[in-house]
Amino acid sequence: MNARFTPSRQEDLPLITGQGRFTADHHYPGTLHAFVIRSMHAHARLTSIDLAAVRAYPGVRWVVTAQELKALGAGNIPHPITAKGPGGEDQKIALMPLLAEGTVRFVGQPVAMVFADSALVAQDAAELAVMEYEVLDAVTDPETATQPSALQLHEQVPRNLSVHFSSGDAALVEAAFQKAAHTSQLRVVSQRLMGVPMEPRAVVARHDAATGVTTVHTPHQGVLGMRNFLAMAAGVSPESLCVDANDVGGSFGLRGGAYTEHGVLVLATRHLGCPVAWTGSRSEIFLSDWHGRALILNGDIALDAAGHILAIRFKDCVDAGAYNCMMSTFIGTRNLSITMGGVYQVPALYMESEVVYTNTTPVSAYRGAGRPDIAYAIERLVDFAAHQHGFDPIALRRQNFIEASAFPYKTANGTTIDTCLSGKLLDRALAMSDYAGFEQRRAQALTRGKYRGIGLSTFLEASGAGTAPKDQALGEFQADGCLHVYGVTGPSGQGHSTSFARIIETALGWPADRVRYEAGNAKHKLLGNGTGGSRSLYGAGSAIVAMCHQMLESLKPLAAQALGVSADEVHFDKGLWTGPQHSISTAQLIDALPQAAQSSLSVMGEATSGSTFPNGCHVAEVEIDPDTGVTELIHYFAVDDLGQVISPQLVRGQVHGGVVQGWGQAFCEQVVYDAQGQLLTGSFMDYAMPRAGCVPHLRNETYEVRTQLNLLGSKGVGESGCTGSLPALANAVMSALRPYGIDQMDMPFTAPKIWMALQARI
Amino acid sequence: MRPISLTVNGHTHAVDVEDRTLLADLLRDQLHLTGTHVGCDTSQCGCCTVLMDGDAIKSCTVLAVQAEGAHITTIEGLAQGPDLHPIQAAFSQCHGLQCGFCTPGMIMATAGLLSHTPQPTEAQILEGLAGNLCRCTGYIHIVESVKLAAQTLQEKSA
Repeated sequence: MNARFTPSRQEDLPLITGQGRFTADHHYPGTLHAFVIRSMHAHARLTSIDLAAVRAYPGVRWVVTAQELKALGAGNIPHPITAKGPGGEDQKIALMPLLAEGTVRFVGQPVAMVFADSALVAQDAAELAVMEYEVLDAVTDPETATQPSALQLHEQVPRNLSVHFSSGDAALVEAAFQKAAHTSQLRVVSQRLMGVPMEPRAVVARHDAATGVTTVHTPHQGVLGMRNFLAMAAGVSPESLCVDANDVGGSFGLRGGAYTEHGVLVLATRHLGCPVAWTGSRSEIFLSDWHGRALILNGDIALDAAGHILAIRFKDCVDAGAYNCMMSTFIGTRNLSITMGGVYQVPALYMESEVVYTNTTPVSAYRGAGRPDIAYAIERLVDFAAHQHGFDPIALRRQNFIEASAFPYKTANGTTIDTCLSGKLLDRALAMSDYAGFEQRRAQALTRGKYRGIGLSTFLEASGAGTAPKDQALGEFQADGCLHVYGVTGPSGQGHSTSFARIIETALGWPADRVRYEAGNAKHKLLGNGTGGSRSLYGAGSAIVAMCHQMLESLKPLAAQALGVSADEVHFDKGLWTGPQHSISTAQLIDALPQAAQSSLSVMGEATSGSTFPNGCHVAEVEIDPDTGVTELIHYFAVDDLGQVISPQLVRGQVHGGVVQGWGQAFCEQVVYDAQGQLLTGSFMDYAMPRAGCVPHLRNETYEVRTQLNLLGSKGVGESGCTGSLPALANAVMSALRPYGIDQMDMPFTAPKIWMALQARI
Repeated sequence: MRPISLTVNGHTHAVDVEDRTLLADLLRDQLHLTGTHVGCDTSQCGCCTVLMDGDAIKSCTVLAVQAEGAHITTIEGLAQGPDLHPIQAAFSQCHGLQCGFCTPGMIMATAGLLSHTPQPTEAQILEGLAGNLCRCTGYIHIVESVKLAAQTLQEKSA
C-alpha cells in the first residue's frame, strides 16, 4: 500500500491507517479484565470491606485488597526524587500503597481490584462490594494544610509538611530589599490541571512462566524508567519485567512511572497464570492520573530607582496531593528554584517552598513540571512591578537582561546558563507583532466596544538534566538494507524516529528513509533517559551523533579503498567521500560492502548531556468583550531559541501544542474540588479543554543559537510553548483590563470571572 | 445476547451482542478493528468517530444493536485501493498528528464533514471538529490538514 506516498514522519503511516498499536489494542486469548474499586471519600477510615458477593459473582476470578497484595510482596507507588530541608533535614515521605491500607486519603484512591472474564462483568461484580467508611474532615486547601487546626493526613508527618526547602541567600535578598527604591509583591496561582493524554491509562500484562518474565504493555515515557518503577510498585525484580515499546497516546509527564494498576496487574498475571488487562475510563482517569501544577507562588521584587532588579524572592506552596508520588518534590524544589531569576541579571535570589499534603489526587509532572509556573510568576511579577512603578515593561526587561558578555552566567542561586540572547529575540518578537502599533489598535478596538491588550514574556527554562548517567545509541546495518538504531527514549508523539533519522542523514550521509529507530529493547542493555524534560532530541540525539562519528572513522579506510587512494587523501563532507579524482556517497560505499563487513560497522555511541536553556519571547494580543467577559485571542507570536533545529515542521508542532496547552490553562482548564474533597471536574463535561480554533493565528519562528552543552547543539522544544504562553497570555489579559483598574487575576481567565471583575469596578 | 448483522468496511458480519454493547466495543473487541479508539466515557473526545451510512457518528454513543443493517466505515476502510485516502495523506503532509491517538477520529470526522461540505469555510471546519479533542497538536496543523484534504478532493473530482 501507499507506494506513491511519502509520509512526512516515519511514524505516520500506521497511525493514519488505523494500524497503530496502543495498549488497549493488545488482545490475548484467555485475558482476564480488571476493574478498580475506588474510594468515594476524600478522607476516611475503612472500617470494613465485604467482598463476598463480588467473589461469588459468576465470571469473577480474583478479588484483591491490600491484605492479599501484602502477601504477594507488593511495593508502593515510587517517589524517586527527594529533597532536604535547609539544615539538611530529611524529607518526610508518605508513600502511597497500591491499594488503600486502613485509611483512604483522596477520592478515587484504589481500594480493591476485581478480575473477571470481561471488563463489564468485573464492573458489574464490583457494584456488589460493601465498604464501610468512617468519614474524616478533608484537607483541601494547601495554604491552610500546615496550620495546627488542619487534620493531619499521615501519622508520621506533623503539620502535613513533607519538606521545607530553600535555595539562595535570604540575608542578601533582605539587604537588597532594605535599600530598594521600589518593591512589588505578587501572588499567583498556577491552578491544578489534568494532563489529559488522549489515550487513557491502560495496562496489559502477560507472564511467561517458562522464562519468568512478565511482558507489560502500557503507555510510558521510556521503557527503562517504567521497568524500574514497575518493579518498585510490584515488588519484583526489574530483570523479570519487559516493557513493550508500543504506541503511546500522549504523555506530557504523566507516563513517567508506575501507578496502582501497573503493580497489581504484574502480580495478578503471575498469580493467576493468564494475561490480564485494565483500561481506565476517562472518569477514572480524571480521579486517578496524577494531577499537574497546583502551585501557589508568592513573588517579591526589589528595584532601584532606575529600574534595575536588585533581588527576587519567592515563597511557594506546593500541593503534593495525598501522597508523595513520582515527581511532586522535584517540581516543588529543584524546578521552582533553578530558573527563578528568569532571563534577568539579578544579584540576589532566594526562594523557599513547602511541599504539603492535601486530600486530593497526588500531583506529579505535567508539561514543564514547575518551569512554566515559575516563568509565569516571574514574568507576571516583572510586568506588574513595571506598571506599578511607572516603568515601560519592555524597557525594564531590556535593561535587566543578562548581558551577552556575562555568559556563561551563574545565577545568584547557582544555575549556570550558557547563553540566552533575550534582546535579539525580543527585537524580533516586537517586529513580528507590530508591538509599536498596539496603542492604535487598542484605540480602534475601543470604538467597537472591545478592550484590547498586548502581553509579552521573555522567558527561560532549564530542560531535563536526565537521571541516567548517559544516553547510548546502538546502530546496526542489517540485511534489510536499513540502519537499525536502538535507544532507550520512546516516543509519545514527538517523532523521535523522524528526527533521529535526520540527525543520521546529516552526520553520516546515510538516507533518513533507510533508518529504523527502535526504543527500549531490553536485550541490548542500553543506558539512557526516557522522554521527559524536553531532552530526548539532544540527549539521545547526541548519542546518535557520537555513533555516527565512530562510523565515519570506520568508513574512512573503506572509502579510501573504494576510491583507490590513501586514507589521508579522502575528505568527507555532506554525505560524500571525495578523493583527488572521484567521489562516493556513504550509501554507495556501505551498500557495496558484503553483509559481514556492513555488520562490522555496528557501533554504540554514547553521550552525557545535561540541562540546556531554551528561551524565547512570546507576544499575545487579545480582545475582551466587556459585555460578556469573553476573551478572543487575536494574534500570537512566538520566537524561540531552541538551539540547532533538526525538524522544523515538528518543532512548529511542538510549539503549537505547548502554546495551546498554555491557552487551556490560561482560559479554561482547572481541577476543582469542593470543601469535602469531592472532585467537581470529573469528566470532559465539566473540565474544559481547548478545542479547534482556540488559537487561530499563531506565528512561530526559531532563533537558533547552538548550545555547546551537547554534541547536537540543540536545546529542548517540548515545554517552551507552555512556558512562554502562560505569562504572555496573562499579561495580555491584564493589559486589556488595566485601564479599568484590574491588574491581577488568577487563571483561568474565564468569561464569568472577567465579566464579574469588570462589573465590580464599573 | 442478540444476533445482529452489519456491514463494516464492505464486509458483512453476523455477530451476537449484548443489548448494552456499544458499537465502539463491537468494532474493537469482536471485529478487532482497533483503529477506532475510545478516549472518554461521555461522548466528548471523538476518538471513536466512524461513518455510519455516510454520516460521522461517535461509535461510543451508538449501541451495537442500533447498527443493525448499517454500513459502517472505520479508519481501516477509508482508503479505497492501494493508495491512502486524500484525508489521510493530508494529515501526514501537514503534520496534523503527533501521538496519533485522536487521529482516526479526526480523519473520520473530516470525512463526514467533507462529504456534505466539500468546500468548508474556516468556521465550518472548526464546527466540524468541535466534537474531537486533541491534546498534542494545538489543532493548528489539523485545520490545515482539513483544508488541504478538501482542496485535494476538489481537484480529484474536477
